[in-house]
Amino acid sequence: MAQLSLQHIDKIYDNNVQAVYDFNIDIKDGELIVLVGPSGCGKSTTLRMVAGLEDISRGNLLLDGRDITRAPAKDRDMAMVFQNYALYGHMTIYENMAFSLLLRKEDPNVIHKKVLAAADILGLTSQLNKKPSQLSGGQRQRVAMGRSIVRNPKVFLFDEPLSNLDAKLRGATRREILLLHKRLNATMMYVTHDQTEALTLADRIVCMSMGHVQQTGTPLELYDSPNNTFVAGFIGLPPMNFFDVTFENGALYGKGFEVQLSDAEKATLAGYNRKAITLGVRPEDIVEGGSLPVKVFSNENLGMNTLVHGHMGDNIRVTAKLRGWTDYKNGDIVKLGFKRKHFFDKETTNAIRKGDR
Amino acid sequence: MMNDQSIRLDRMRFTKNTTSSRLVLLAILFDAIYFVSLYKINVEYYYNMMMGASILYNLVFMLAAFLASEGVKNYKQGYSWVLCLLGAIQIVRIFIWPVHAHATSVTVAGQELLAMNNGQFVRAVIYLVASAVCLIVAAAVNLTKSRALKAHIAGLEGQKA
Repeated sequence: MAQLSLQHIDKIYDNNVQAVYDFNIDIKDGELIVLVGPSGCGKSTTLRMVAGLEDISRGNLLLDGRDITRAPAKDRDMAMVFQNYALYGHMTIYENMAFSLLLRKEDPNVIHKKVLAAADILGLTSQLNKKPSQLSGGQRQRVAMGRSIVRNPKVFLFDEPLSNLDAKLRGATRREILLLHKRLNATMMYVTHDQTEALTLADRIVCMSMGHVQQTGTPLELYDSPNNTFVAGFIGLPPMNFFDVTFENGALYGKGFEVQLSDAEKATLAGYNRKAITLGVRPEDIVEGGSLPVKVFSNENLGMNTLVHGHMGDNIRVTAKLRGWTDYKNGDIVKLGFKRKHFFDKETTNAIRKGDR
Repeated sequence: MMNDQSIRLDRMRFTKNTTSSRLVLLAILFDAIYFVSLYKINVEYYYNMMMGASILYNLVFMLAAFLASEGVKNYKQGYSWVLCLLGAIQIVRIFIWPVHAHATSVTVAGQELLAMNNGQFVRAVIYLVASAVCLIVAAAVNLTKSRALKAHIAGLEGQKA
């Protein structure tokens, strides 16, 4: 297994478009890092640079201390699993899994042992004589993973491996990847735009936007202490509610509503008196029984929770994720309160933390 | 714990019998070369019904051999016997047309010539023999492998039970 270090990595294309800016991370042995962000944020480009499928314009890539910035893909000892599986349709599953080892001219008996071991891990033993077209999407993706496992690479790279699967299969395959990571204790880099995948799989998440790293941290850190409004809005489903407010006399004043703060919150905003800031509240941190009247326009029952969409103050939109089953009708007024609040600087969009000013 | 021999056998559960299959394709190639080389003889002056029959048989042979190559690829024992039969017929064919043509004289521009000269005859025999050998070896290899595989699978099923 391996430690991977990305130091000041930039990607600039020939037409001078920069896709990745100053990417830095030290990935520990056996760690699963998830790169997450919207389409076009540079996460797949970063992964492809690590794999050697894209040139690194600036910066260094170290694998176990060895500089592999300019090393060709085949010499990097990394295996990549693609979104579209990239299986050979005319070969059986066994042949697909054995193919890379055959090219390396490994002993057929050794190949056989490795393929059977990988198939056993992935539950593919009974499928080895089938062709990829005879398998479901989830099974094909497992074959693609098996093809990586047999190579016993230092680093596994996953490029949106679950995007082609339906929701149910995606959940099951996600759990399999997690079990696989625990079983192999392998260093992995995983790219996704799905924040649920990121939160459930990652040891650490790198959240990217427009080629810049917005925040690197554990899933809890990104969820609980987002660095800026982008991370706050991207991580969490439904996304965080944002309100333009002004901090004055120990309370927040928005358009047609007022929010009282605790002493700790007041202390956090001590340097922002009479200044406009952004208040962020997660839907799950909104509770019934508060002092803010909200006029409901939509009630979505999810079983265990209910999403209540409404307007408060001067038509400010708010979404609350309430526990249990509620049955509010369009036009109902419900009184809500904010349990946990996040504050962001309006100009920089960065989080305001205690002692910032 | 499996030893090398049992791993080799176990591999056959997931790999094709390419040795036999490729030998059969080689046999088809030899047959094709033999067939094409026949037209080098003084055919304008020598023709009989056997030539037409040979053309038809070649079509049948190529079809049957190709099907058998696919069969042996999957360790189907029955195709070994088909290959043995085709191999035997290739040997028998030597004594039908090449021998007949080699023993027949034709008159070309007032000259008495053999319909098939010595060199052509030897080459025709070599191609047919090579084709027959490939077929029989392919059959033997398939028979050995398929029996071993059958026994191995029976052993695995016995272990499971």
